[in-house]
Amino acid sequence: MAVLETGAASTPQVGIQPRAASRRERWLRRLPLLPALIYVIVVTQIPFLVTLYYSFQNYFWNQPGGATFNGFSNYSTVFTSSAFRGALVRSVIMTASAVIVAMILGVAFAVLLDRKFLGRGVVRTLIITPFLVMPAAAALVWAGPMLDPNFGLVNYLLQPFGVHHVAWLSTFPLLSVIAVMIWQWTPFMTLIVLAGLQGQPPETLEAAKVDGAGALATFRELTLPHLRPYIELGILLGSIYLVNVFDQVRLMTNGGPGTATTNLPFYLYQQVNYAFDVGGAAATGVVTVILTIIVATFALRMFARVFQFEGADA
Amino acid sequence: MTAPAAPAPAAAPARVTTKPARRPRMRELSGQVGWGIVAWVVGIAFFLPVLWMVLTAFKPESAAETWPPQFVFRPTLAEFRLVFAGWGPFVTHSIIATVVSTLLVLLLGVPAAYALSVRPVKRWRDGLFFFISTKMLPIVAAIGPLYVIALKTHLLDTIWVLIILYTAMNLPLAIWMIRSFMLEVPGELLEAARLDGAGQIREISSVILPVISPGLVSTALICVIFAWNELFLALNLTVTNAATLPMFLISSVPQEGLYIAHLSAAATVASIPVILVGWIAQRSLVRGLSMGAIK
Amino acid sequence: MATVNYVAASRVYAKDAPPAVDALNLDISDGEFMVLVGPSGSGKTTALRMLAGLEPLDGGRVEIEGRDVTWIPPKDRDIAMVFQNYALYPQKTVADNMGFALKMQGVHKEERLRRVREAARLLDLDDNLLDRKPRQLSGGQRQRVAMGRAIVREPKVFLMDEPLSNLDAKLRVQTRAQIAELQRRLGITTVYVTHDQVEAMTMGNRVAVLSNGHLQQVDTPRNLYDNPVNQFVAGFIGSPAMNLQTVPLTDGGVQVGGSTLPLPPAIRRTAADAGLKELVLGIRPEHLHLANGSGDLTGDVVLVEELGADSLLHVRLAGESSQVVARAEGRKPPVPGQQVKFHVEPEDVFAFHPDTGARLAG
Repeated sequence: MAVLETGAASTPQVGIQPRAASRRERWLRRLPLLPALIYVIVVTQIPFLVTLYYSFQNYFWNQPGGATFNGFSNYSTVFTSSAFRGALVRSVIMTASAVIVAMILGVAFAVLLDRKFLGRGVVRTLIITPFLVMPAAAALVWAGPMLDPNFGLVNYLLQPFGVHHVAWLSTFPLLSVIAVMIWQWTPFMTLIVLAGLQGQPPETLEAAKVDGAGALATFRELTLPHLRPYIELGILLGSIYLVNVFDQVRLMTNGGPGTATTNLPFYLYQQVNYAFDVGGAAATGVVTVILTIIVATFALRMFARVFQFEGADA
Repeated sequence: MTAPAAPAPAAAPARVTTKPARRPRMRELSGQVGWGIVAWVVGIAFFLPVLWMVLTAFKPESAAETWPPQFVFRPTLAEFRLVFAGWGPFVTHSIIATVVSTLLVLLLGVPAAYALSVRPVKRWRDGLFFFISTKMLPIVAAIGPLYVIALKTHLLDTIWVLIILYTAMNLPLAIWMIRSFMLEVPGELLEAARLDGAGQIREISSVILPVISPGLVSTALICVIFAWNELFLALNLTVTNAATLPMFLISSVPQEGLYIAHLSAAATVASIPVILVGWIAQRSLVRGLSMGAIK
Repeated sequence: MATVNYVAASRVYAKDAPPAVDALNLDISDGEFMVLVGPSGSGKTTALRMLAGLEPLDGGRVEIEGRDVTWIPPKDRDIAMVFQNYALYPQKTVADNMGFALKMQGVHKEERLRRVREAARLLDLDDNLLDRKPRQLSGGQRQRVAMGRAIVREPKVFLMDEPLSNLDAKLRVQTRAQIAELQRRLGITTVYVTHDQVEAMTMGNRVAVLSNGHLQQVDTPRNLYDNPVNQFVAGFIGSPAMNLQTVPLTDGGVQVGGSTLPLPPAIRRTAADAGLKELVLGIRPEHLHLANGSGDLTGDVVLVEELGADSLLHVRLAGESSQVVARAEGRKPPVPGQQVKFHVEPEDVFAFHPDTGARLAG
């Protein structure tokens, strides 16, 4: 006997939507965000707008007369300048190789640190230290006491391998600078990957043992897939910082010999401080920003997982 | 029938009488030891440049630029004395810029992180992305105009230009980290607080801040590291009145003459604070770098 | 013949600490479903992990099929294990999860898939689930994938570590029966760990009761119930638990509930031989029969728990501070506050030594 069908009990209301937050509620939520947001917008966007403005100007420090409008002339200079292209290529090479090698080492060191052994805490402290050293200090110490052809420690230690008084900074400038970048950022990668390793549920590893997986197979089949988001995050964050590296270039090789180690940040620095070309530097800066946005969009799409923010969906 | 049963569950445990086999323990142990050796070699190799820097700082100049490099020598504090004689204003500026900017970062960052995690605004994803995007745009690109702006606002070569810029430099990462720490606060804790009548401010100060205080420490540490070590902005926007320690370091490289020991002493002094802080608060730092950044 | 033997197997975690498993001697025959049951800390999971090779032994040995496997790594023992939290590989699909061990053995892809599909069918896992990742599955489905991963291997021994504890009550009852039936069909020796004595009683061919690292008794469920060898087993097996109380001895019996409860002569003799002044009395709830008029025990009903078919009475016996639980049949149980009388058959009474807990046999 159908007591149900007549719908006398309750007629479903058509079109019920979740209650929208009131205006006051929404503004109350925004309020805490505003100070930081406004601050960052003012401090970062205003300089950028000014940069944009000057990029269309002809403005040299050392010349009287201030800024005069010259349209896209700065931009065409940038695109035709081989110096700029060179700096761009070198930035890519330096960043990519440093990030990749640092990450590979980072994974290796993290695996090392994941096992228990005598003095593990001490070793971890030792491995972290390069990241803490002031980059300017690192650059100067590597340039002098470490790599100098006449009294450097590196040449001394490599003697048994047949290396004799190599002038690292003049013969292998790019390699030297990249080596220091790697030295300083491997700890960062190591720590991120280590966190990933320690976050692996131990039961899963035991199940793999029972299922017959040896150490190598477990690493390949289980650990690496587990580490993937951590590795991606490390690469992303590392790239952001490494692409802007300046200290080592300026203090180890001053961009040279010639332009052998000039990356984009250093090139811009030169434009402002030596060429006194504010307009040109501004245009270069804008182009750099645009390129960064393009690369970042690509990177974000590839590394979409990293940005899967959980929680806070209320 | 009942199988033979062990003695009743009295308190006294039976002694373990059978001898443990020793064979595989050897392999286990030697594997561990081998691993440890490799790890130690790596650790020492990585630390060697720092060790060399500190060692060279105690050398007299005559012993610093020799071949072969000297490991044994008569240590002297001469270079350190020179460093300490000259570093006064520089270290003061560094401390002020670092501490004030870090405090500002926390002051602005905590509420912002709150608005992006616990009680999120509607478009929190966009907000977070915006903050991160400011880090992706190289500061170097705007250095020319920044100089002009600083000049025109009379902030050039003042400590404030550094404070303002360092705060902006560290805010995005700080917000990301603080946010992820806030996400770890158990929902029930917040609900209990709300039931007890806590408003937004009370919620933050009495519930959230205490729980995430280790996370705040790690965030502050990272901000301190980046601010203390920063060179580019200091180099371009300060000359004498607000020059920081990195600048002092550069000035320790003269045009001519021996300087390696002096340089090492300056480098050591400049780096030691952050290194020590990083070592002591290591756990906090590790937590911040790895956990805070992961989510 | 996949027999399993624990021979004086021991595991100690810290120097001078009481052993987690103390000289365990247990023989499991081929195809048997052996349940290890006990409260937390009893050593049952440790014993299982020792068999799996995930815990080293500090004494004694473990044998599978008569072969000493004490120092052989897990992957060479030909065992499969179902973990309490399933331990599924999060980044792999269900099919890859189940086929992982076969992949490690070098089995070809088509053969792997065939065996995976077979196991899935046995467990009622839909084909379209095979391509999903564990996080997309429900708890029950994940549990079945964990079982499937073990079945696919056709090992000599199944090891199961509380596989039902993360399921809700209804699903647990269902799955319990499925596992028991599956084991019967496959005939593979199984060692199953649980803290739930109901699971132990319903699933096992034999049940081993452990406490504090010691084996208390290993026997069929029926025998454990009817003939517990000590107080621990008596109180652990059976739900609701056996009523246990320390009572003084008097002429002819024990003093309890305001009167003298007669004891069988054999028990009285054993107690007298041991020079006891008191003992621990054990009576199962269903052996307290409501008596109209005269009875051995008197008490006041404190609480009535209606179960539907029957009810549980919580009764405070006259002159005692503690309560007993009695099972009352029938549609009209007594009400709280009512005075009741119980009759007990002498042969239903258990007696245990007050210090050692050993059964004072009749």
